[in-house]
Amino acid sequence: MSDSREGHSRAEISFVVNGEPKTVWAYPMERLLDVLRHQLQLTGAKEGCGEGECGSCAVLMDGALVNSCLVPVLQARGSNIVTIEGLAAGETLHALQEAFLECGGAQCGICTPGMILAAVHLLDRKPEPTIDEIREGLSGNLCRCTGYSQIIEAVAEAARRRTHA
Amino acid sequence: MRSNPSDYEMVAPNNLRAVVSLLAQEPGMWLPIAGGTDVMVQYAAGKLAVRKLVSIWNLPELRGIEVAGDEIRIGAGCTYTDLRGHEIVGREFALLSNATGWTGGIANQNRGTIGGNIVNASPAADSLPALLVYDAELILVSLRGERRLPYPRFHAGYKKTLLAPDELIQTICLPRRFSTYFSHARKVGARNAQAISKVCIAALGRVKDGVVEDVRIALGSVAPVPIRLTETEQAVEGKAIDSDLFLLARKAAAAEIRPIDDIRSSARYRATVAGNLVVDFLNRLRSTFAEGDGSKDVLTRWNHLPSDQAAKIILPCCGSMAWAREMVARRPFADDAALLAASSEVWRGLSQSDWMEAFQSHPRIGESRPAIPLSTPSAPSRSVEWSAQEQQKVGDADQAVKIALADANREYERQFDRIFIVCATGKSAAEMLEILQRRLTNDADTELHEAAEQQRQIMQIRLRKWLQK
Repeated sequence: MSDSREGHSRAEISFVVNGEPKTVWAYPMERLLDVLRHQLQLTGAKEGCGEGECGSCAVLMDGALVNSCLVPVLQARGSNIVTIEGLAAGETLHALQEAFLECGGAQCGICTPGMILAAVHLLDRKPEPTIDEIREGLSGNLCRCTGYSQIIEAVAEAARRRTHA
Repeated sequence: MRSNPSDYEMVAPNNLRAVVSLLAQEPGMWLPIAGGTDVMVQYAAGKLAVRKLVSIWNLPELRGIEVAGDEIRIGAGCTYTDLRGHEIVGREFALLSNATGWTGGIANQNRGTIGGNIVNASPAADSLPALLVYDAELILVSLRGERRLPYPRFHAGYKKTLLAPDELIQTICLPRRFSTYFSHARKVGARNAQAISKVCIAALGRVKDGVVEDVRIALGSVAPVPIRLTETEQAVEGKAIDSDLFLLARKAAAAEIRPIDDIRSSARYRATVAGNLVVDFLNRLRSTFAEGDGSKDVLTRWNHLPSDQAAKIILPCCGSMAWAREMVARRPFADDAALLAASSEVWRGLSQSDWMEAFQSHPRIGESRPAIPLSTPSAPSRSVEWSAQEQQKVGDADQAVKIALADANREYERQFDRIFIVCATGKSAAEMLEILQRRLTNDADTELHEAAEQQRQIMQIRLRKWLQK
């Protein structure tokens, strides 16, 4: 994208990403997804459909799961964003990441960051979800490989461990 | 063809007045964008004609839900998640809270707004038929002031609305007068989650003595706009609810809808499904109001009852109104086990005064009537009958034990200022006397929790009896 093109100017937009304050210059209608991937080099969020149907670009914005392909970056100003890169503590994986690994919840990996963030969002609200609640919590995230069973099992396993830890 | 962000201007004022001022300066030039679940999709496809956007996401003036007398006022910027989580919406406007749960996945429910859904004016939107049957009214705002418009008049044609270029929807008002109606919503799509409906229905109804008193039926995806089936409603009202009526309703509905062939379905399929949905609704309405139909599963029937009626029925199992209301709000329950589990959870989460209300609904051990009758007139008889069954063995006890029990009861009431609660089922008078004497040595807090646990056990037994009736 070129700055010399006729059009509107970029704006300074600050927010917190994975706990660190960041400031970017971006066109207000740039998608949060593109800013994360291209300017901040956080390539965990993936572009699947680009129209809010598949959930592979999902991130947490002020604690709420959102599809970052549908968020104009201006609307993220001042917010607190968490991407998949922000879940692990150093070398220690988040309980959900561990459970996905152990249960075979990831295959090609495109949907995985969105799936895990959707699961984080679910367990924040329902620490002991039923299988139906897990299915509903992940219903906006499409997977083309695993057939979902291992993913659902991974979330159930992570919930069990967290409650009984 | 993807859009280029540098072609677009966007501003995000922090108050509503600034937004409507901007709309007034250049009417029609600015497109309001809330959660972007529709606008950003058009943008991604390169189909967004307007080049100036004004963000109304998270404006405080548009985000609240408040009760104002006999209506509930929902800010147009409330998300589906806001609506799903709201207690009154869940309890009194089940059609709306159900539809918000069907719309998109969780991420889109966190961003999509009710006002955006109305303005987007898709004939397939799941929540719009609900707004039609609930007699919603819209408050529209501009720099010129506010105006109130009945929602059914808002949609003027396919994707055409009465919103002026300088106006925004500010509030959706719903009158709180449908809580005694049976409500039913259903969508038919390619799959349950994330699929746009082929046909959807939202309906309310009331039947008295086997005759349809009032019905309100709305359908999505069968006409250029979401529609009320007013002629079908008139055709069935005042008539006996039977299979002849179902046939009549199916015909009337077919004459009222104007479905089309498109990528999601065909006109013929939609017409058939629309008829099925109307008949299915009437059938459920009939079963719900049918008296003495013992063959029908108690829980299924209770799941579909109007809130007030459902609360009244379950109240005698516990005695606490707060408990009954919360149980009703948590419907539907998939099975008996889910209801039993929820009942314990709700009970444990109640306040001390709610526990007291439940304790007081019981008669003293050895007596047949509670000290303070339940506030709902039809409830006590069931509770009294159950108490008699539970305390059956006391009647068989010898006189000395009965007297000792009465004395200990009085001592307990003097000490703890409430009646003694024990799960009496299967226990002899002597056993209860022993328990009572032990519990007299408890401190106040221990005893409160022991009483609450006993009450929980009583409740579980009563719920099981009710479910197996």
